[in-house]
Amino acid sequence: MVSGAFVEVPAPVRSREACAAGMTDTVPASPAPWQRVRRIAPPYLYLLPAVVLLIVWTYQPLAQTFVLSTYSWNLVPSTPMVDVGLGNYERLLSSPELGRSVWRTVIVILGMLPFTLVIPVAVALLTRRVRGRAQGVYRALVFAPMLVAPVAGAAVWQWLLDPSAGAVNRVLGTDVNWLNTAGTAQLSIIVITGWHVVGFAVLVVTAGLAGINPDYAAAAQIDGASRSQVTRWITVPLLSPTLAFLVLMTVLLSAQWTFPLIDTLTQGGPVGSTTNLYYLLWEYGFRSHDAGLAAAAGVLFFLGFIVVAALLTRLAERLSHHDD
Amino acid sequence: MRGKGAVAVVSRIQLQGLTRRFGAVTAVDDIGLDVADGEFLVLLGPSGCGKSTLLRMIAGLLPPSEGRLWLDDTDITHLPPQRRDVAMVFQSYALYPHLSVARNIGFPLRTRKRPRAEIKAKVAEVAATLGLTDLLDRKPRELSGGQRQRVALGRALVRDPGAFLMDEPLSNLDAKLRAGTRAEIAELHRRLRATTVYVTHDQVEAMTMATRIALLNEGRLEQLGTPSEVYDAPASVFAATFLGSPSMNVVDATVRAVDGALVAEAEGLRLSLGIDADIPDRPVRLGVRPEHLTLTSSGGQGIRAIVTAVENLGSEEVAHCDTGVSVRGPRPLGVVPGEAVTLSARPGHLHLFDHDSGRRLAWQAASVPQPV
Repeated sequence: MVSGAFVEVPAPVRSREACAAGMTDTVPASPAPWQRVRRIAPPYLYLLPAVVLLIVWTYQPLAQTFVLSTYSWNLVPSTPMVDVGLGNYERLLSSPELGRSVWRTVIVILGMLPFTLVIPVAVALLTRRVRGRAQGVYRALVFAPMLVAPVAGAAVWQWLLDPSAGAVNRVLGTDVNWLNTAGTAQLSIIVITGWHVVGFAVLVVTAGLAGINPDYAAAAQIDGASRSQVTRWITVPLLSPTLAFLVLMTVLLSAQWTFPLIDTLTQGGPVGSTTNLYYLLWEYGFRSHDAGLAAAAGVLFFLGFIVVAALLTRLAERLSHHDD
Repeated sequence: MRGKGAVAVVSRIQLQGLTRRFGAVTAVDDIGLDVADGEFLVLLGPSGCGKSTLLRMIAGLLPPSEGRLWLDDTDITHLPPQRRDVAMVFQSYALYPHLSVARNIGFPLRTRKRPRAEIKAKVAEVAATLGLTDLLDRKPRELSGGQRQRVALGRALVRDPGAFLMDEPLSNLDAKLRAGTRAEIAELHRRLRATTVYVTHDQVEAMTMATRIALLNEGRLEQLGTPSEVYDAPASVFAATFLGSPSMNVVDATVRAVDGALVAEAEGLRLSLGIDADIPDRPVRLGVRPEHLTLTSSGGQGIRAIVTAVENLGSEEVAHCDTGVSVRGPRPLGVVPGEAVTLSARPGHLHLFDHDSGRRLAWQAASVPQPV
């Protein structure tokens, strides 16, 4: 009779243990400090040019604006700057102009939404069915206004809106003094700005549509959806991150987009009816030469828009579906 | 619209001369197929053979350049996809990312404006069949690959379609899950007996699931038959080498009569075809599957070769030889690289193809037909 016993087959030796067992006597010395710097530095060196430019052109002026907002100064280098603490902010917040300009800015933003959202979605959905060379021609035509310099565009619109000989009045059969009437001046500014940016928005929506996997629409069609159901239930919801981006752009940039047109066509008038936040800020700084007040206004807008941007970004993130 | 418990609807799909051209390229070239009711037809072929294009034409997503398409007695050639009674499972699954699992599955009923309660009940029923009940409130991005695949299947099942179209539904799953899901889909088909057209490039899927395989190559139908027919009697060199792993050995040879019997001959090769006849020499391509070759002692009749490598597949081994021939058999094969071997095969396991066209050659005796 042979006696014996079962012996467990050992698991393979793990490599880290093997290393530890075999290399106890060859612990590598820590590298010299200079070597460590050389190893770590390259990524930071690559970043350096961009960081320097950002600091010089963005962050430093921003900090200077904060500082300037606590002084009273008329932009004349020989005049001394007087420290007024929060005085500029008090003046600004007690001024009735601020509230009015905020309201006008809201109007501009709301008025811009059809041009940055509704028309672009409609145009992009319609031109999607156009194929081949015609597609490129359509897009070029829609995008062309974006390439016209705002001031040049404004000059042409000034002729078009001329109360006596303008084409707009002749076509509409009216005799409205578009740019010099309180109600229509704001409308004119909105429409002209909208004409200017609509092509860009169409381009963004077209890119958004191109990014949607065509399988979704195909699947929906096979699932029985009509063309309009596919658009309403699949395409537009999947486009929502793009639309959120456009809303963000509109809210943050509408007032900026209008600036060259306001400055060329109405100079904020008549009776301040087209003076929105940005134009107000500019008037404080470069008409009243009240640098401190303008800086304070700039700081307030900056903080206000940060809050708005944060809210909208969060909304946009919730809307995105991580299409994969 | 078909309700539950309705009389089983016959769904036969007929393709007649279906052709699709993209510019100068003919992706699908004059395909004619008759898919019987309840059949599981697999469109098999390599990438770019036109199988997905063909499926998209059946679905209505792509208009054919030529040809006609029938579902039962209805000509659906020009019908938009939403009016064809077919459901499709996409390779990407195409689950609507903004809708929950329940809304995804219920989508086909929502487009048909069914009452909310009915949709809910039907979705619950389908979800239960597929084991998705706990996942109904999730969004597609919160699902694993296998779960997404089942939701896609559920969306197809929910409306009792006339036919199922599936475009490589398993290609995004890992190997283990693929085997399981393959069995599930086959089981589902057995239960529902619904006409299914299934596109794949995977020969295992085709062999295991299909009632018939339509093998496509460069837009043309290469062979149509049951899995055994396609495997056992490949209609062409392409069919012979596409199915099987490793693929069939195909060598150039000459058929000649020696002492009143036909043999296939080439350098270092002499195999009897088991046919007593006398014909003039004919160049052919001779095919034999790796598993049908046996190792015999050196010196006998067969294929003389030198082993260059031996692959261990676990249960089996594959020996690759210098002439490009490979042998497959139970492990151990008992050969080592460098060894000179002689391989033989039964005449019934030899396939002959025309040297130029590559089509299968069948022996027809003058009096009694005798297959090769």
